[in-house]
Amino acid sequence: MKQKKRGKTILLQLLTIGASLFFLLPVLLVVSYSFKTKKEMLMGSPFSLPSEFMLENYRNAVHKLDLVHTFSNTLLYTAAAVCILALLCGAGAWAIARRREKFFKFAYIYFIIGILVPAQALFIQIFLVGNTLHLINSRIGVICMYIVSGISFGMFMMNSFMNTVPVELEEAARIDGCSVFRTFFNVVVPVLKPAYATLIIMQSFQIWNEYLMSSLFISKKELRTIVISTQVLFSTLKNDYSTAMAAIVISALPITVLFVCLQKYFIKGMTIGAVKG
Amino acid sequence: MRKRTLNQRMAGQYAILVLPGLILFTLGMMIPLCMAFSYSFTSWNGLDATKKWVGLDNYIKLFQDKYVRDAWLFTIKFTVLNTVIQNIAALLLALLLDSTIKAKSLFRTIIFIPCLISAIIAGFVWLRIYGSVLPALNEILGTDINFMLFGSKETVLTGLVIANNWQWVGYWMLIYLAGLQSVPHELLEAAKVDGANAVQKFLKITLPMLAPAITICVVGITTGSLKVYDLLVSSTKGGPGYASTSIIMQIYNTAIAGRQYGYGSAMSITLIAVLLLIAVIQLKWLKKREVQM
Repeated sequence: MKQKKRGKTILLQLLTIGASLFFLLPVLLVVSYSFKTKKEMLMGSPFSLPSEFMLENYRNAVHKLDLVHTFSNTLLYTAAAVCILALLCGAGAWAIARRREKFFKFAYIYFIIGILVPAQALFIQIFLVGNTLHLINSRIGVICMYIVSGISFGMFMMNSFMNTVPVELEEAARIDGCSVFRTFFNVVVPVLKPAYATLIIMQSFQIWNEYLMSSLFISKKELRTIVISTQVLFSTLKNDYSTAMAAIVISALPITVLFVCLQKYFIKGMTIGAVKG
Repeated sequence: MRKRTLNQRMAGQYAILVLPGLILFTLGMMIPLCMAFSYSFTSWNGLDATKKWVGLDNYIKLFQDKYVRDAWLFTIKFTVLNTVIQNIAALLLALLLDSTIKAKSLFRTIIFIPCLISAIIAGFVWLRIYGSVLPALNEILGTDINFMLFGSKETVLTGLVIANNWQWVGYWMLIYLAGLQSVPHELLEAAKVDGANAVQKFLKITLPMLAPAITICVVGITTGSLKVYDLLVSSTKGGPGYASTSIIMQIYNTAIAGRQYGYGSAMSITLIAVLLLIAVIQLKWLKKREVQM
């Protein structure tokens, strides 16, 4: 009986290894390519390892991606949009959860429409509104666009966390004479920290990787995000794939590190509603 | 009397917390939605000051336009294949990672990593894999398999489905995994005592308990696949020919590149209608099964 169970475990283990190779090999190939010389790339087998750790490709990629600018742009857009989203969604969802008036019920349904009608389906019109408001090729415009495309999910997510905030605590604060705003910042925000962490990570990852909307909002070179400049690099490089591969590693690294450090919150945000009860 | 005014004043303060989001959302989503609807009845080219009303012409044109039909056909095929394959693969992998194997978190991270990169990058990586990595395998093995999946109209869909699955299976797997881990152990133990075998346990206990996760994954994969664009930009660019032009790419080509904003808006409205319809049907059908258990 025990032997049979061990045999089964080994079989399952082998299956898992086999399956994960499908996901891992392309990643390894990219990393291996990113260190190869142009000659190795064109002449050698794709499966051979690089003969030495060539950092030349990375130097080229940093230069061609204009990494200093694109990285700080992406960081700025992501950080600003995510912080404002956290503030708006936390406060909004709390107010919606605490009040029974029609206005708040309406506001919730209004925001939920945005989950069913995604921003990508309306990209032309969002671009046109941005154009009318002179928000194209402006940092503020890009940040606003990201806030709008994330706000529905944010409201929905923060709303589902509101039952973790004890109402008694809020009432106590109010009896002590706290205004609504002070109650929110002093009582609600500290309790919602895990919810905020989840929201921030989920949104950062989406904004960091977004392409369609930002490529419409940004045409000026100095405003580009990493993903946009990576795509520009892909379409302009003819045979210099090693530089492209180094660029991939560079643009994927920050978000991968963030994920590995904050996996717990990430998974929590993804699985909201997936678990019964 | 005083209490009521206090309550009203508080409601006002709460409303101030909601308003900034509400205004931004109205400007950025609701006005565009109304614009799409009203422009879809015009022949606006994006430049003219006047938008000429053409009634339902754009919608009638949609049904006669071969490019639109092909774009829908590609998008629907891509969506159906993804929904079926990704759900099954994600559930199977989640079951593997929920079993007695070792180093679970390592495998979980490996399978999840592709989700972290931009679809632009995923598209380019698979372009290289089909273009130069796999053909080199032919030389090593001495075989002559056609790996250039993006090169012909017949295989481009398969190639894209593989690339899309490579990227997203890990995401849905994590959701199934969370669902699996929430299945109470006592239930499975009780079934074992009653003499249920592994298949029975899976069908009668695990699967019904997974219903909320299945709902999320099915709806998420379907609506996500219908919106495919980024993956195509860096890999096939909609080709060869128009064989892999998705509906969003067709909207882009029509409105932005072709300057037919009215016609493009009609396409947007049909896409939104389809997204809403599918989400409602799926939610209704799947939620019904959730209640039944």
